[in-house]
Amino acid sequence: MNFHKASQAVAVAALAAATVLSLAVVAFIIVFVLERGLPQLSAEFLFGLPRNMGKAGGIFPAIVGTFVLSLMAIGIALPLGVGTAVYLSEYTRETGLTRAIRFGTDCLAGIPSIIFGLFGYVFFVTTLRMGWSLIAGALTLAIMVLPTLIRTSEEAIRAVPASWREVSLSVGATKWDTVRKVVLPNALPGIVTGVMLSLGRSIGETAAVIFTAGSSFRLPKGVFDSVRTMAVHFYILAREGVSVEKAYGTAAVLVLSVLAVNVLTYWLMNRLIKRKAR
Amino acid sequence: MKVAVRGLRVSFGGAEAIRGITLDVAANRVLGIIGPAGSAKTTFLRALNRMNELKHGCKTEGSVLIDGEDVYAPGIDPVVLRRRVGMVFAMPVPLPMSIFDNVAYGPRLAVRHRASPHKTKAELDELVEDCLRSAFLWDEVKDRLDTSGLRLSGGQQQRLCLARTLAMRPEIILLDEPCSGLDPISTAKIEEALVVLKERYTIVLVTNNTKQAARASDETAFFLMGELVEVGATRKIFTNPSDKRTEDYVTGRFG
Repeated sequence: MNFHKASQAVAVAALAAATVLSLAVVAFIIVFVLERGLPQLSAEFLFGLPRNMGKAGGIFPAIVGTFVLSLMAIGIALPLGVGTAVYLSEYTRETGLTRAIRFGTDCLAGIPSIIFGLFGYVFFVTTLRMGWSLIAGALTLAIMVLPTLIRTSEEAIRAVPASWREVSLSVGATKWDTVRKVVLPNALPGIVTGVMLSLGRSIGETAAVIFTAGSSFRLPKGVFDSVRTMAVHFYILAREGVSVEKAYGTAAVLVLSVLAVNVLTYWLMNRLIKRKAR
Repeated sequence: MKVAVRGLRVSFGGAEAIRGITLDVAANRVLGIIGPAGSAKTTFLRALNRMNELKHGCKTEGSVLIDGEDVYAPGIDPVVLRRRVGMVFAMPVPLPMSIFDNVAYGPRLAVRHRASPHKTKAELDELVEDCLRSAFLWDEVKDRLDTSGLRLSGGQQQRLCLARTLAMRPEIILLDEPCSGLDPISTAKIEEALVVLKERYTIVLVTNNTKQAARASDETAFFLMGELVEVGATRKIFTNPSDKRTEDYVTGRFG
């Protein structure tokens, strides 16, 4: 075998190995968690209240807490993020300032979540006297996912062809008409992707949440009640050795939730794209 | 004169694109504008509906009078102006929505801006049909008005764009090389539409195809490097031009 054929074969093998290895790690984690967690799942586990500090009973409050907290965070972050993205890409010219804002957003995206947790604790929980609560947690998570939302929305908005905007303006549309009727509807699939990424991140977040939303077992009755998310529940069960079985059960539900969010994303994206291509 | 352009100068970031053009367009006529690439034909067209100013660093001097009123005067809203002065671009650009919605896009906005009275569904249907007929597209799309405009062929898309412009009931229609990407049959259909349309509209047609100007326009203007070299009856420009440069261009000796 001559040299370039050999190098080609080696390259293909190396690339294939890298792919297999990355997939194997993911598959291993999922199988590992589900293998130990799935046997724990039962109607009582999913819909029951925890008993004996979580050693027995269910995780219903944690499931509710996780989704309510994450959806609230997205509900707060989405208008801010999309608004910022529209403003930056449609209403400002590319200047040093917009570049600085973009750089800032990128930096914000790289900050470890525990720092957001610390900020949320100091600012929302203590200074604004919200206490450990849904609202403090949701605001903290909103700040955490904001950079992702801004950047994905901005990318999606920039991908809308300039000629569409021009046509819209040429038939007597204002800039705002154009944003509403042409830009946003066509940036929607990209924005939805950002929302789902952010939702996934919020659902799995632990550090930022434990400092701000607390770890109450009870079902929340209002936004000033503390909640415990599944991730926090898992952390406490495992860390304090309450129940390894229940910890895995919680982890399984968590993994399946994130999976469900991703599947929903793909489904929604395909639907949106198909509807337009009709 | 429907349109009277007086001493028009347009520059982008200090680079002068149009160097003082004075030109009239008579009502219900087709003015063809010819000239080699880079002679600012498109910039001239976009000066008439104030589309140039969407680009950063654009500066416009002189005046563009439509029915005697300067469109660059303070207090003139470009959004309102663009409803009076419609435009078809060089590349067909259907909006990513249904054929019907493409045509109804402008009229619906006009209703929303209270620039035209509320339209019933029947009135809107009638307007869309009329515009598609005027653009010689109705027969090809009447059974599939709810399919996406993006699914049409290039020639059909360009006629859809023409219909979309007509739907605003403009007074003036600007056509920016509307046939540059089209096959001869689609081109013929567009030109056919123009003959009928000039009874109701004043048309300015920029074209890279001198034969098209000869066929479709009543008057022809020859632009070169941002200046107007010559304007006159199309027959005269093509058979007996006053300027040597015009003669060289229309006979294909340069450009």
